[in-house]
Amino acid sequence: MPIRLLSLSGEDLQYVINSMVLSDLIAFSLCSKRTKALAKSSNHKIDPMSAYVYLNFIIFEIRPSEQERQRSPRLSLLFSIYSGSRITLTRAGENGSEVWRRPEFTQSDWIPHFMSIFNESVIQELNIVEVEESYLDTVKRIIPKFNKLEIGIACFDDAARIAFLKLSPIAVEHVEVQKNIFNNATDTTKFLTLNLKSVTFQDPRYPFKLTVDDLLILNITDLTIDEANITGRELNQFLKLWMKGNHKFYRPKSIRLALEDEEIQLNRQEVLKGIQYEFVEEHDHFQFRIRRGDGKELMVHKEENSIVFNFS
Amino acid sequence: MSSTEQGTSSAAPAEPTTAPESAAAPEVPESFYYVHGKDKVVHKVSAGALQHSALIHGMISNLGYTEEQAKANPFPFENIDGDILQMVVDWCNQHKGKPTPPEDTNLPKQKEKLFDLVLAVNYLEIKELLTYCCKQVAMMVKGKSPEEIREIWMIPTDAEDEAAEKEAKKRAGKEAAGETAAAAGDAK
Repeated sequence: MPIRLLSLSGEDLQYVINSMVLSDLIAFSLCSKRTKALAKSSNHKIDPMSAYVYLNFIIFEIRPSEQERQRSPRLSLLFSIYSGSRITLTRAGENGSEVWRRPEFTQSDWIPHFMSIFNESVIQELNIVEVEESYLDTVKRIIPKFNKLEIGIACFDDAARIAFLKLSPIAVEHVEVQKNIFNNATDTTKFLTLNLKSVTFQDPRYPFKLTVDDLLILNITDLTIDEANITGRELNQFLKLWMKGNHKFYRPKSIRLALEDEEIQLNRQEVLKGIQYEFVEEHDHFQFRIRRGDGKELMVHKEENSIVFNFS
Repeated sequence: MSSTEQGTSSAAPAEPTTAPESAAAPEVPESFYYVHGKDKVVHKVSAGALQHSALIHGMISNLGYTEEQAKANPFPFENIDGDILQMVVDWCNQHKGKPTPPEDTNLPKQKEKLFDLVLAVNYLEIKELLTYCCKQVAMMVKGKSPEEIREIWMIPTDAEDEAAEKEAKKRAGKEAAGETAAAAGDAK
């Protein structure tokens, strides 16, 4: 015989809700607007949420927080979100999955619902594992805000490029691209001129070809490229042009270029050729300072196989 | 263990048939009180066991009843079914003077009984037992889908909630109109 749970007193009801495990709480929140409000007022805590895009569906991951693990299983809950009013729940480490439905929901409603019940305003990480180009607008609509964007190695080149252009402006903190989207690109400047906070381009298989112009038009505050294909002569040119650019606004604060170690050693003299600089440290990790007429400073140092430029 | 006997509808309770377990300290005789539920069956319970209930503990702490007075004035809990009160009394006796364990496996498995127990325990303010009961209620829906939870806990849909809200507003409006009309009639 069923029982009428919502007729319990507020305090008892809250205690029942606080005693539920995480997956049951989420299921309960989907019963009605009233149960959603009750779930929202519970004391359940989760780790920051992540979403993974696979071709034309999204897997949304909810992990219990350390504190939550005392009452809920430690493993993640993985919700596969397809078009329409159903989702599939897979409990990490368990075989099989369950289908949940909420007839009045569309694909866009699930993630805001999950975020709302745990009082989260932003998704920690959006990971584009592989994606159909046509699905990117849907991704943008469903996941309106996230801290970190990761574009994976399995994406096709064009899809990865479009994903970067469409989604990186929404990433609040950091973008990481794990494949060389500069390869065969007609114009790499559109990637580098985006006004972004922090970007890592990483593809050890195919180094990113960079030019002096690329570095000069850069509009990314913190840029890391691993590995970059640029010569010592081009770096020297870049430093000279930066010095000449008195009173010109240059947005980057840090550029880190991973190069082959030997290349740095070989080109060190070439990089500094004709430049007035001041050594700060000259041992294994050389570090020097360059000043320009308007008082701006540039610190350059070597860190393992990388050359790092820090602009003041 | 509690002692019980089928009571009559009169206020005076019948003599309990079995003696309760005595408290550990023999030098101070333990005092006993009497409670009955909807079925009028009177349960004799020690003051030590009743300490679990903040409500009853508050009621008896300043009474200073003699055994006879206590027997003559059982606490009536007309809103609690007899079998549920029996469960509560049993639990209080079992956990008299003992630290409560983190889990209690002796709670009823039948959903409706558990639910009635939650209501009774909440009324009697027995915090530890309420904790166990609420956990047990939460376990009813372990691993269930939203549809299954809605069924088990009889959760109304949004449409049903909205209809009920509309109905309640309509009723409140009618009542208010009735009161206004009555006040106008009185004024005349």
